[in-house]
Amino acid sequence: MIQIDNLRKRYGKMEALKGLSLEIGKGQVFGFVGPNGAGKSTTMLILATLLEPTSGKAYVGGFDVVKQPREVRRLIGYMPDFFGVYDNVTAEEYLDFYASNYDISPQERKEIIPQLLELVSLSHKRDAFVDSLSRGMKQRLGLARSLVHNPDVLILDEPASGLDPRARIELREILKELRNMGKTIIISSHILPELAEMCDVIGIIEGGELVATGSVDEIYAKMQGYKVLKVRMLDQWEEATALLTRHDKVASVKKDGNVLLADFTGTDQEQAALLQQLAAAGLPMASFAEGEGNLEEIFLEIVKGAGS
Amino acid sequence: MNVIRKLRNPVLINEWKVRMRSNRAAWVTTLYLLVLGGIVLTFIFLRINFENRYDPDISREIFMFLSILQFGMICLFTPGLTAGVISGERERQTLSVLLTTNLTATKLILGKWLASLSFMIYLVMASLPLYGIVFLYGGISPIQLVQVFGLYLVTMLGLGSVGVLFSTLMKRTGVSIVLTYAFLFAYTAGTFFLYVVAQEMIDYQRRMANLHAMQPNPVWPEWLLSLNPLAVGLHVFEEGVFNRFHDLKAAGNLPFWMIDPYWLYILFFVLLTIGSLELSIYLIKPVRKRLWKR
Repeated sequence: MIQIDNLRKRYGKMEALKGLSLEIGKGQVFGFVGPNGAGKSTTMLILATLLEPTSGKAYVGGFDVVKQPREVRRLIGYMPDFFGVYDNVTAEEYLDFYASNYDISPQERKEIIPQLLELVSLSHKRDAFVDSLSRGMKQRLGLARSLVHNPDVLILDEPASGLDPRARIELREILKELRNMGKTIIISSHILPELAEMCDVIGIIEGGELVATGSVDEIYAKMQGYKVLKVRMLDQWEEATALLTRHDKVASVKKDGNVLLADFTGTDQEQAALLQQLAAAGLPMASFAEGEGNLEEIFLEIVKGAGS
Repeated sequence: MNVIRKLRNPVLINEWKVRMRSNRAAWVTTLYLLVLGGIVLTFIFLRINFENRYDPDISREIFMFLSILQFGMICLFTPGLTAGVISGERERQTLSVLLTTNLTATKLILGKWLASLSFMIYLVMASLPLYGIVFLYGGISPIQLVQVFGLYLVTMLGLGSVGVLFSTLMKRTGVSIVLTYAFLFAYTAGTFFLYVVAQEMIDYQRRMANLHAMQPNPVWPEWLLSLNPLAVGLHVFEEGVFNRFHDLKAAGNLPFWMIDPYWLYILFFVLLTIGSLELSIYLIKPVRKRLWKR
């Protein structure tokens, strides 16, 4: 359904995309993960026909995003990471306006809009002014807006950003429903676990390049054994850092306040041995614990490690 | 049915709906007519000076006064109304979403342009009864009234299209508004300044060449001045600098190449409108054909 071949985008001297290639099948939910500035939004803007690539090709449903933007727009529903709403417009009128932009007849619009509001659980806000809605509600309304013309492909750029945990859960439920409806979805996030539950395939992008792609299981398999050890020191951080860095199962060590964060790839036995080593060296530790690492950060570390 | 559907502009309909929903539109109309009506009625009252008779010349004066006042208001308000229509969408972060819909760039630009001007057109139309009062006393031809409204319309459409162009080019609405006002000022002052310079140059050449006073001056400086809104505004009332045109017309000796400044102005503003809108339509497309190769 989506095909990207050797896509490059340059903003002045900065290269945002460095020959990105990927393929997303019909009905697949593709999660795009990567840090800020990695190239996720640039890729999505190109797919949404809002940005011209410097070179390379991108197709949606077989249509070239540069040469056939009108055909592509009929197929896609796009939701940017930040979007505004109009003042003085109710939720129903907001959807009606966008539906009319797709040449949907007034009769059809009367049928579709209540269904969409129902889908995003906003039926009760039908006559509420859009600017009075909460951020989570606006985000759901934005999702309904991207669905007014029943597109085959949904391009969702960071749909959960800025939402509170409850709103995130609600959004996740709607996305699951859309997956069940057979939509091809490309969704980006900073947080891998957020996508893991609903994505068939995950692509990790870093510095404009797709560094890894695979099913959620494949990604998790690669991450097996990776954890972040948090060592809170009272003093002698340099000695502790040196000791940790020398350990062959520690990939890297970072200092965060008075806590040392070590990316550890060893077994539980090796972890116990490391703790004993630190204690034997007489280093003043206040605590030694396994931290909850940001999964995609760890994954990026793995990929970088594999690369080097 | 299909044609109507194709001509239907959702942006225009939505803007109308939203704009006319609040009480503001009614208040602005009331205030506008009160101010304009107040000035006109005061003027009439002062000029009649408690006399029972009414001089058509006074009526003509009031008509001129009202027309120039309204023309000034159009020039003052149009840039402010139009110069934020696209940059405002960009600032509100609604433009990218609009551009991914099936809405064509042409419909988007035309919808925004007409929506922003329609309120001004509505205000001008609402002022027609005021002209009716003045018209009652005579001294003005219906042609002049039509010409004045034609002048209003093309000036509004032209200035509005320039506002839309700056709004498409600039990211910030403030910058766009300032540039549109700067354009209006530079254009009005510029055409007048160029006319004065051209006349001075011609006079100098005539003096140097010792030309006979009866030898006619070239007409092109007047063509240049025909592009000036104020000069054309006065020309409608047979006032201002186009004396040669009026004299020749009155004598019935008007040569074919001496085009009425009013029509030159209309033609230029129609071209300005089309050019500005075409450029805006081209520029708003996120992915567009290059006019030249890099």
